[in-house]
This record gives sequence, C-alpha cells and structure tokens, in this order.
Amino acid sequence: MLKIIIPTIMLIPLTWMSKPNMIWINTTTYGLLISLISLFYLNQPNDNMLNSSLMFFSDSLSAPLLALTTWLLPLMLMASQHHLSKEPLTRKKLYISMLILLQLFLIMTFTASELIFFYILFEATLIPTLIIITRWGSQTERLNAGLYFLFYTLMGSLPLLVALLYIHNFMGSLNFLMIQYWIQPLPNSWSNIFLWLACMMAFMVKMPLYGLHLWLPKAHVEAPIAGSMVLAAVLLKLGGYGMMRITTLLNPLTNFMAYPFMMLSLWGMIMTSSICLRQTDLKSLIAYSSVSHMALVIVAVLIQTPWSYMGATALMIAHGLTSSMLFCLANSNYERIHSRTMILARGLQTLLPLMAAWWLLASLTNLALPPTINLIGELFVVMSSFSWSNITIILMGINIIITALYSLYMLITTQRGKYSHHIKNIKPSFTRENALMTLHLLPLLLLSLNPKIILGPIY
Amino acid sequence: MKPPILIIIMATIMTGTMIVMLSSHWLLIWIGFEMNMLAIIPILMKKYNPRAMEASTKYFLTQATASMLLMMGVTINLLYSGQWVISKISNPIASIMMTTALTMKLGLSPFHFWVPEVTQGITLMSGMILLTWQKIAPMSILYQISPSINTNLLMLMALTSVLVGGWGGLNQTQLRKIMAYSSIAHMGWMAAIITYNPTMMVLNLTLYILMTLSTFMLFMLNSSTTTLSLSHMWNKFPLITSMILILMLSLGGLPPLSGFIPKWMIIQELTKNNMIIIPTLMAITALLNLYFYLRLTYSTALTMFPSTNNMKMKWQFEYTKKATLLPPLIITSTMLL
Repeated sequence: MLKIIIPTIMLIPLTWMSKPNMIWINTTTYGLLISLISLFYLNQPNDNMLNSSLMFFSDSLSAPLLALTTWLLPLMLMASQHHLSKEPLTRKKLYISMLILLQLFLIMTFTASELIFFYILFEATLIPTLIIITRWGSQTERLNAGLYFLFYTLMGSLPLLVALLYIHNFMGSLNFLMIQYWIQPLPNSWSNIFLWLACMMAFMVKMPLYGLHLWLPKAHVEAPIAGSMVLAAVLLKLGGYGMMRITTLLNPLTNFMAYPFMMLSLWGMIMTSSICLRQTDLKSLIAYSSVSHMALVIVAVLIQTPWSYMGATALMIAHGLTSSMLFCLANSNYERIHSRTMILARGLQTLLPLMAAWWLLASLTNLALPPTINLIGELFVVMSSFSWSNITIILMGINIIITALYSLYMLITTQRGKYSHHIKNIKPSFTRENALMTLHLLPLLLLSLNPKIILGPIY
Repeated sequence: MKPPILIIIMATIMTGTMIVMLSSHWLLIWIGFEMNMLAIIPILMKKYNPRAMEASTKYFLTQATASMLLMMGVTINLLYSGQWVISKISNPIASIMMTTALTMKLGLSPFHFWVPEVTQGITLMSGMILLTWQKIAPMSILYQISPSINTNLLMLMALTSVLVGGWGGLNQTQLRKIMAYSSIAHMGWMAAIITYNPTMMVLNLTLYILMTLSTFMLFMLNSSTTTLSLSHMWNKFPLITSMILILMLSLGGLPPLSGFIPKWMIIQELTKNNMIIIPTLMAITALLNLYFYLRLTYSTALTMFPSTNNMKMKWQFEYTKKATLLPPLIITSTMLL
C-alpha cells in the first residue's frame, strides 16, 4: 500500500516546488499515474483479501473505493483550474495541498485494517474538507455550512470512539482481519442496543440518513467544485464502507435494531427525491439526489443479504462517479453565469451541444438507465428489499419514478427549450471540461461491461 | 521591571514549584506552594493598573485559602497517621480536604470562578505562566496522593469542569478569557483519570502545556488580546494564521493532531474501567470547546476580515519580536500523533 501512499505524500512537495505555470499539469499527471497503481488492487484472489502489511489491507470492498478515490484527485484538480486562476500563487498551492492531504487520508482510511486507525483517519478527513469548504467557498453561508458539517459528523462519531474502545477491551484486538474469527453473537439487551447505536450513528450521519441529513445540502452547495466532488463521491461512501465493516461485529442485533433506520431511509428517499422536484438551486438538487441514493445504500447494508451487499457496493461506486459528474456539469454552468439558479441558464443545447450530450448521459445514469452500473446497484437493492418485505417494492417503485422525474426535470430545464435572453456571451466549452466529463463517464460505461469488479466481496 | 529583580522572582517561582515536586515532607510542600504564590504576585502585577491589582488580589485570596485548606488536611493526616511523609492517606476527611484544596489551586469547577477574571486582568506573558507553570505543582501533588483520592468527588469535579469550560467560553471574545475557559476544561479532563491511571494525567498535562505555550506565543507575537485584533493577522503574518488554525484544531482535540492523543488515551482508560457514559458525556461537551476554537479560526484564518488601508503596509516592516522556540513548539503540539 505504500506504493500509493508515498507517491501521494510526494505530490505535496511537487506542488510547492513546481514552476508556477506547471503546478496543475504536474499534479494532474502524477495523480493519474497514482490512480493507475491503485487499479492493480482490483485484481483480487477469489476467496480472500490481499493483506499488504501490518496496518493496511485491501479486499474487494475497499479496492473499488480506493480506485475511485485515486481516480477522483486528477479530476478534482482539472475542475478547480478555472475558479482558482485569479488567486495568488500561494493560495493555489495551498488549495492543491489540501486536496492532496484529503486524498492521502482517504486512501489510508479505505485501506486501514485496524478499526481505531480507521476512526482516526475518518475524523482526519474532516479537517481538509472543512478548510476547503470555509476558505474557498463562494457565499457567506459557507461558514454555517462548515460548522454544520463538522459538528454533525463529530457528534455522531464521538460515541463511536467510545464504542470501539469498549469492543477493543472486550475482544482483545480491533484488527479487522482477526476479528472476523472471534465474533460472538450480540444478544439483545439495553446496553447492547446502545453499543449498536454508538457504532452506527457515526456512519448514519455521514451517509446521510434522512433525519440527520441537514449538513449535506449546506456543505455540498457552499463548497467549491473540488470540495463538492470529493464530498459527494467519496466522503459519503466512507459512511457506507464503515457501516459494511462494522455490521460484521453487530450481528444478530442488527435484525432487531435496523427497523427504525430502515423506515427512515425508505421514507427519506421518497421525501428527498420529491424535494428535488421543487428545487431552484442546481447544486441543491444534486445534493438532495445524493441523499436519496445513499438512503438506498443504507437500506441495503441494513438488510445484510449477499445480493444487497453487492447492490450497495455497486451503487456506491456508480453514484460516486455520477454525482461527481453532475457537480462538474453544474459547475460549468456556474462558471459561466455565476449563479446556481437553474432557470437562469436555459436552452443550453443550442449553445453548447457537446455539453448537452454530457448532460444527457449524466442524467440518464442518474436515473439508473439499463445497462449502467447504477441500474445494477439499484436493481439488486430493490430485489433484496423485496425479499426482506414485500411492501417495500411500492416505496422503491415510487422512488425510481420520482428519480426519473427530477433527473429529466433537471435535463429539460437546463438544456431544452428556448434559451434565455441574457445569455449573450457564454464562453464555449473548454477542452478541459469535455475531458473532465469524458473521464467521469468512461469508467461508468466501461464498468457496465464488466461489473464483476465492483460487486464487492460476496461475488 | 529591572532585570535582577525579575531574575530573582522567576527563580523563586521555579524554586517554589521544584520544592513542591521534589519533597516528601508535607510542610515543605506547603512552603513551596507559598513561595510560588508570593513570587508570582509581582509577575501578575507587571502592568500597574487597577485591573491587574484586582486580578492579583483575587488570585492571592483563592490560593491562600487553598493553601490553608491543604494545611488543615495535612494536620488531620498527621493526627490520624502520625507522620508527615506524603504517601497513601488513610483518613478520608484529610483526603477530601487535600483534594478540595488542590482543585481550588488548579481552577477546577466549582472553584473555577477566579480563572477567567484573573487571566483577563494580566498581561499575556503572565497569563501564560499562570495557565501553564502554575498547574504543574498541584498536579504533581495530586499525582502523588492519587491512590487515596475519593473518585466520586474528583469525577464530579471533572465533569462539571468540562461542562463549565465548554459553556463559559462560548460567549467570549477576549482571547485571555477563552484560554482561561479552555484551561478549566482541560483540567477537567486531567482530573478525570487521576484515580484510574495517573500517567495519562501527566501525558495530558504535557500536551496541554505545549499547546497552550504555543497559543500564547502566537498571540504575543501579534500583541493581540481580542478576537478582533487577531482577525487582522492575515494582513501582517499570513503564515501564522495557518498555525493558529491547526493549533486551535489541536486544542479542540481533533484527530490526527496531537490534541487528540490525551482524549483518546483518557477515554481508553475510562472504558477499561467500565465507565462508558462519563467519557461519552465528556467527549460530547468537549465539542462545545471546539466550537469556540473554531470560531476563532473562522475569524482569523478562514475568512479575511476587513481592515483599514494602512494595515496592508505592515508587511514591509520586519517583525522584531522574539519568538523563542516557536517552530518546535508548534510542531510538537500538532504532529505528535
């Protein structure tokens, strides 16, 4: 694992010592090279996990997430070039260093083998994200957004620390590879209920669960583009990844405790999808759609069947790429008209036809069109929740319809129709933007040809 | 103040604390405390204004009361055990009295009322000495009598200190009062595990002293005592604003900075002793602390406050304040994890 970590650390001296007109080129190129290395880890032997060292390991759950994280860094750097072009050089380098630091913590989080190490890095990802949101966001609400983000996550994760230390005392070690063999069933009692809650609430807040999702629209909307991309694509998946790891310790109590959260998720995904239909702010729409997709992942993880785990993993990767792409598209709109309101930039298809093609593909993947991996994820989750209880299919069906509704609403409002009168001097699409969209879309489409890689450890 | 006098007074302060730490006879410990207190009064009054006089008077009164309580506890211990050596104190009354006296010296709740007012009335350098060096002596005595301290009493004091330290600091804009409430909260964390694992208390004390020294030195570099004056720092020393950012986050106890180490270790020790609710409560109230540190970083490092035009000229002047040992201090207070 050091062959990914050390190059990522060395990206920081690379930014600080490059010539001023080469910082973006250098970091993006080397970031892409690092993501190539992470692809090696996708080759997992059949029955086991690859154990690299005492502290790091990777299995078929963490390898796709690792590849997503390392793939996203060059994309984030490409997306940030425009809005940072007017800043002084030191601030540009600071921004890039924050992104690289965040990347480093994320890589270590996904490959951590001990749960306390995972916890420390899980919290550590908050600091660069907070700095990116509050320092480089554009509106005054970003201060409040940073506060909400930090405190929601910390309130959930401090009980997790206590719970992990308690489990450490109880079981003797928290190394993930060893715990699998020492698990004892967790009987139903009041103190075990609190233990379950303490373990899961951190990840529920991070996912986010419907009742605790207030930080997400604020943080996603106020963050600069790279912050939004990494928040939507990777940081939410930290919650899902953590949940999947820690539910192995919490059986069979999960069957009993999962009910309230299942209800919240099932109801919440319909609620947040419906809110999307009434949004005027483009980024806010994409943020609420993230909540809705992640609610599906929560449902899948709490059901704990093989198919649902496969669906959860596939959905996490698919949603990461789709959501990041949608934020990039929204940002290309924002850079041209400096407003996030959807109706201010209508009819873009006549002006920027190639960008309209990317909008179309992004919206189609967002509404889970076959044969994309979004569909595979959603379909597996719908099927496994149907086997858990027959009634959920009604809610899932309503959700799929409303998802299609708001995705098409977003597409039609921004692309179709007559353009608004004040769009006179929109710059044509940059090659950088087209490259960005392609790099998001190609993995999505190619993975539809071989989804075995992202289907997780149960396949 | 003239250098020879300053040297004598500083030497007395240090000797006082050394005597407290190194002796095993209770009377000598009391003498050390008194030396320390008497010598620090002129330091507190360096600036001769009524505010400083009021602060020194408050400090003197509380510390003298605490020393007298300590002496009473020592005498009761002498009565029941017949010896002056500091060791396990068998009589509970003596133990409670000594604990109360020492917590009064430290500024733990419910004896915390003097800390913000005294810290506010004195200069930044004196405040630094007050909040760091003065904590060493009482903590060393608590360390030595730790087997016989009543756990319930100390845990109650610790919990209320963390709460008071968190809530009290929320409404402050003066930096010295913020640091005072931060000191109350950190003392609360330290007091919580003395009876379980005193070594962790030493760890927490060391890291707290490092972080507080760094913070005060950064404030002194800028001569700023209010949040507003700190927020103008982005004009003069932009590098220091990032230092303040990570230092404040470290004080708040965020991983992976070194302020997280004591919190982690303390929670670990407490859970090993089957206390689950108390560390959870303490950790969550520490978030209140984090809120006002974060507010400081917001105004300092993460936003650019409007400032008058001639502030922008100041980068042309080199700064001549001595920042002794500032880089290593900052590094150890943030990177130790």
